Amino acid sequence: MNLVQSKETMVTYEPDNSIKKGYLSIFKEIFNELKSNQWLCYQLFKRDFLTLYKQSFFGIVWVFIFPLVSVGTFLILKGSGIFTFGNIQVPYPLYAILGIAFWQLFATGLIATSNSLVKAGPMIVKINFSKKSLVIASFGQAIVSFIIQIVFLGILFIYYQHMPSIIILFLPVLVLPIILFSLGLGFILSLLNGIFRDIGNALSLLMTFCMLLTPVLYAKPVSGTFADLTNYNILYYLICVPRNILLMGIMNSKSDWTGFFISVVLSLVFFTSCLVIFHLTETRIAERV
Amino acid sequence: MGDLAIKVEHVSKKYCKSLKRSMMHGITDIARNSLGFSSHSGVLRKEEFWALNDISFELKRGETLGIIGPNGSGKTTLLKMLNGIFWPDKGKITVCGRVGALIQVGAGFHPMLTGRENIYLNAAILGMSKNEVDKKFDSIIDFANIGDFIDSPVKFYSSGMFVRLGFAVAVHCRPDILLIDEILSVGDQGFQIKCFRRMNELLDSGTTVILVSHSMIAIERVCKKTMHLSNGRLKDEGETMEVIRKYIGNIESCNSEPTSTIDKENPIIFTKGNIKRTNSQIDLELEFQTTISIKNPNIVAILWKGDVRVCNIVSGDTLSSLRSGRYKVKFNVGNLSLSYGHYHVSVRLRDRLNPLCTYGINGRIVDLFVKDNSEGMNGINLGENGIIIAESDVNIESI
Ligand SMILES: Nc1ncnc2c1ncn2[C@@H]1O[C@H](COP(=O)(O)OP(=O)(O)OP(=O)(O)O)[C@@H](O)[C@H]1O
Ligand SMILES: [Mg+2]
Repeated sequence: MNLVQSKETMVTYEPDNSIKKGYLSIFKEIFNELKSNQWLCYQLFKRDFLTLYKQSFFGIVWVFIFPLVSVGTFLILKGSGIFTFGNIQVPYPLYAILGIAFWQLFATGLIATSNSLVKAGPMIVKINFSKKSLVIASFGQAIVSFIIQIVFLGILFIYYQHMPSIIILFLPVLVLPIILFSLGLGFILSLLNGIFRDIGNALSLLMTFCMLLTPVLYAKPVSGTFADLTNYNILYYLICVPRNILLMGIMNSKSDWTGFFISVVLSLVFFTSCLVIFHLTETRIAERV
Repeated sequence: MGDLAIKVEHVSKKYCKSLKRSMMHGITDIARNSLGFSSHSGVLRKEEFWALNDISFELKRGETLGIIGPNGSGKTTLLKMLNGIFWPDKGKITVCGRVGALIQVGAGFHPMLTGRENIYLNAAILGMSKNEVDKKFDSIIDFANIGDFIDSPVKFYSSGMFVRLGFAVAVHCRPDILLIDEILSVGDQGFQIKCFRRMNELLDSGTTVILVSHSMIAIERVCKKTMHLSNGRLKDEGETMEVIRKYIGNIESCNSEPTSTIDKENPIIFTKGNIKRTNSQIDLELEFQTTISIKNPNIVAILWKGDVRVCNIVSGDTLSSLRSGRYKVKFNVGNLSLSYGHYHVSVRLRDRLNPLCTYGINGRIVDLFVKDNSEGMNGINLGENGIIIAESDVNIESI
């Protein structure tokens, strides 16, 4: 009975193990690891979810507070007229809240994943478990908030009597590229954060800055250096373009289409390379976290 | 691979002493590895040192290995490498089968979650599947036996309860290889017994166990073979009793230097000890040298098992006064039943009428190993202060 149980795998640990085995086997290893650790991933996600609001009075309500406050600020700014939002054809709160929902998916996901290894540091040096699952699980929180915000938006759509495009049924597909991009970046940053804590500190600052650079809360500027900059901003294509499609059902221009597709392909490639890099280097990180 | 469980070939592991350097080295390693270059881990860079150096050993299925050594000798590092937390910088480790590591119990617990929630979480981290946990869930709660607290957040647990729950989860993951690092000492007596029993069960079912401990008693109890690490090197390896004897001898020789020379401060020294055990009889021979004369000598030998005092063997008021010279004293303890384990004897010489005059203290003059449990009645008395005194014949001669 015991024999059946223990006809298990043989593992070898050696310096530069993966390099010796070749790149093709790396993909197989990664795939197997992710597949066999689904339940672990779910448990880690559950842990994050359960603990986030456990010792808090408002609990899950916090998820709504951030978008409300940001939009509120912008509404006040709009009313005072010191800030122009460009030409937006839909009710502004819809535009802004949907934009923020996308943005938050990217930003909170990225921050959570980047901090995941450091936060689990004591555990990493004491138990050997799948670090990839840990990073992926820490993204789950962002997805949950996103879903809650989308439901919340549903109410707003009814209130403003605005029909979103039918494409909203493909929402999961539309957000996939931004998730992959954020997760890929998160894989790399979590490693670097394990070595340089600066990453974690800088990230929150940087995120606010990036949000202002990306037309999340305002319309894409039509001309000027800012417009040029936006043309090369991958976040614009991954966040604002899907948002605009959802709200207006059309792309603003043809260049948005090409930009969108290029960005999607780029984010796929980026995600894969980050995953491979993570796989190659994760064992070097434990002793330094 | 047949019945091989662990194979370690010339394994070395280096660490960096300085945090800032460690950051630089880390980033270089990551850059090199992700570009597909070797990280040249075999050479030491600035401020690095070998925490483990050229370790090799093999373990078959069902074997047990103890690892002993002073603090910082690399025991935990070795376990972590066997578990795959760190990878070796030189050499190769091959592990066959599922590894369960108890480097620190409850390392995967989240303080905010309840015991119940933590069981699922920790089990998943330790590599169990959902089905497995579902099946063993009640048995885990039974083993931990912490009552209603199972539904309280783990941060409200006492450290013993924490360990109970952690150990309960860990032993239920039925590993082929169990790595244990100095963890059993926190639980209460009852729980420790439970743990040892469980460990024996695992051993019987063919689990390979590696135990790191500073408690020689625990090592003797579980392990047939033992490794002695010192400064990252394999200092000694072999039969547990032998290795432990040498290891302890080692410690003693560094600790008890002052008494080795005779002078004004130490007018009396014990120079030699010899102990022999046949069935339940014990013959203890001590040699000492004195430069002063003692009116009412009283020799006290104490038999220790680890840090537990088993009994005193005393010369009582039978000895007449001694002049300076060399003496040999023989104790013959008629009936003393000892259980399996590792014992040692400490001695001192006192003035019977003036107990404050104590000479020639020697903390470990001789060691004794008992491999079988002896039978028979204990010929012991309760002396003053409740100290157990073994009945013995004494005789002393000048040499
Ligand atoms: N992450 C790390 N970075 C740098 N040095 C480390 C690290 N971990 C351990 N060391 C060093 O490596 C050496 C071996 O440590 P290790 O924890 O293996 O000792 P040990 O034998 O388990 O000791 P103890 O009996 O105290 O548990 C020590 O000198 C320690 O300072
Ligand atoms: Mg240790």
